[in-house]
Amino acid sequence: MDKKLIVLNEVSKVFKVGEENFTALHEVSLEIDSGAFMSFVGPSGSGKTTLLNLIGGLDVPTTGNIFFKERGLSSMSREQMAEYRRENIGFIFQTYNLLPVYSVYENVLFPLLLNGDKEKDVRDRVMEIVAKVGLTDQLKKRPAQLSGGQCQRVAIARALVKDPLVILADEPTANLDTENSLQILELMRQLNRQYQAAVIFSTHDEKVTRYVRREVKLEDGRIVSDKNNVNGTA
Amino acid sequence: MIAFLIRGILRDKSRFLFPFTVVSIGVALVVSLVGFMEGVFMGMIDMTANLDAGHLRLVNKPFYDEEHLRPLDRSLAGQKETRDWLKKNSPDEVEWSPRIRWGAILDVPDANGETLSQTPVVGMALELRAKNSKELKRMKIAESLVGGRLPESPNEMLMGNQLAETLGIGLGQSVTVLGQSFDGGMVADNYQVIGLVKFGVSAMDKKMVLIDIADAQNSFYMEDMITDWLGFFPPDYSLDEYEKVKVALQEPLKEWIASPPKSWAKDDEPILLSVRDQQNIGAIADKFYIIQGFVVGIFTFLMILVLWNAGILSGIHRYGEMGLRLAFGESHWKLILTLGIEGLVVGILGALAGSIFGGAFTYFLQEVGVNMGDSFAQTGMMINDVVRARLTIGGFVQGILPGIFASVAGTLVASLAIFKRSEANLFRELEAG
Repeated sequence: MDKKLIVLNEVSKVFKVGEENFTALHEVSLEIDSGAFMSFVGPSGSGKTTLLNLIGGLDVPTTGNIFFKERGLSSMSREQMAEYRRENIGFIFQTYNLLPVYSVYENVLFPLLLNGDKEKDVRDRVMEIVAKVGLTDQLKKRPAQLSGGQCQRVAIARALVKDPLVILADEPTANLDTENSLQILELMRQLNRQYQAAVIFSTHDEKVTRYVRREVKLEDGRIVSDKNNVNGTA
Repeated sequence: MIAFLIRGILRDKSRFLFPFTVVSIGVALVVSLVGFMEGVFMGMIDMTANLDAGHLRLVNKPFYDEEHLRPLDRSLAGQKETRDWLKKNSPDEVEWSPRIRWGAILDVPDANGETLSQTPVVGMALELRAKNSKELKRMKIAESLVGGRLPESPNEMLMGNQLAETLGIGLGQSVTVLGQSFDGGMVADNYQVIGLVKFGVSAMDKKMVLIDIADAQNSFYMEDMITDWLGFFPPDYSLDEYEKVKVALQEPLKEWIASPPKSWAKDDEPILLSVRDQQNIGAIADKFYIIQGFVVGIFTFLMILVLWNAGILSGIHRYGEMGLRLAFGESHWKLILTLGIEGLVVGILGALAGSIFGGAFTYFLQEVGVNMGDSFAQTGMMINDVVRARLTIGGFVQGILPGIFASVAGTLVASLAIFKRSEANLFRELEAG
């Protein structure tokens, strides 16, 4: 496997806010390896989420280039970008964003159906992932019947089920208590080792920073520090 | 994937129930309304056909040209040949019945045989005494009797109840028909009024008398002669189908006229008319269907309007899901397509439910009807007192197709908002909540 999975080359992102231009990212350059377990850390407005959106192919940079396995994202059409997300990216959200009308099993199944898979072909895969996050006994429950920690486990299973190369986790512990946060982080670390998907957090939760192997600090859209093995717990 | 999404819609009452209910109600209203309008209109057509015009009518052109004068000398001879020709050339489902339209003065004598009162009457002669006559049932004569009985012997007459009232005639009383015979001679023949009828059509109840066709042929010296052959279709046939048969009969009719029966006069020329060709019904029908089209169009437009708004509300409610699906790599086009399919499924289910409710209500109105006799009493309209709806396939089509279209169009119009938004915007809204 090529070690350099994602390369950002002087990426800037400018948003138009009314008549004004707001620069969310200033010429950010970054390399992310396969299997990374890292975080973007910074206060609100520092550009963390913008960076995640650009890497996730949900937005395009105003200037600069992003390469995924040496393929430029900027040159991709909307359809190709959708395909890129479908095949390579998993998302985990602060508010879980589970589909309330579907069960745990169906929520995890959902990305595979979007991929064009047939339910009967992927049932075992879904069951395996649900077992990994420890929710086998909650399979038929709907999100409203689960705790916050359980919901986030479902979200992790949903992100992992299609075996993506990158998981983007936007403040995944922000809505959880300490115990649940630590359990989730531990679970993600185990899954990162097992599945080798690069996990990129956007967070200002210190608990997260203790778990990651690399921490990129952002301020006002600029990288102010990029440290490896910050706490060495990984 | 589609089955998965449909499962979601059915579980999410806020997404399913409102558009489903709107489509159901819309379709039920359209099916009922079209059924009722069709029923009222075709009821008028059938009433006009049964009493007077037939769905199809074979008449001698010289008679038709001066019909207002009831020129019996222009009647068509060769009753048996004509019946055979009609049976041979027209479809089996068309029933042909002979009629004689006549006009005369009705003289009511007193006990001394002196004239008590006189009035011009519109007379219709039909098969009242013939075995297995379908005319009695067709004109609902037995049900229309408000006094007396049906003719059983020669020279017995049925009279409109209002006419009898005006003339002061009671059951069993004799009247004299004063008119002109086929050969131009004077007719003065006595009839006994043995039944009073009320058709619920003011024009007929005030002016009409009915006698048996054999009596008319006898009184007016019209042996083997008929003024009209009326063709009747089963109830569920439409105006267009009458026209098709009429057109199909034109060619054989030309051939028949080219080699006519010996009993015909030199200038006899039977023509075939549909009910559309008579009493300005064609123009009325065209206007009726335009109005019906407008009504269906307005309902469809209103349904689209409501469903569009429902779709927008549902779309806002589902921005999270949309953002998620885009984030997971579903393309905009596929997203819109699945929304369209969802709209289609909701439309089909709503249309089915609406058809069942609307159909059941229309069927009820068809079987039971609405008695509007009081409203029609003072009109001269040829319409039955009991107005009935008519359940037709066309009515369902006019309800179901716009219902489904409205559901899909409403969803798609609403989803344009999603289509125009970028993935990042939807994603931000997803994150916001």
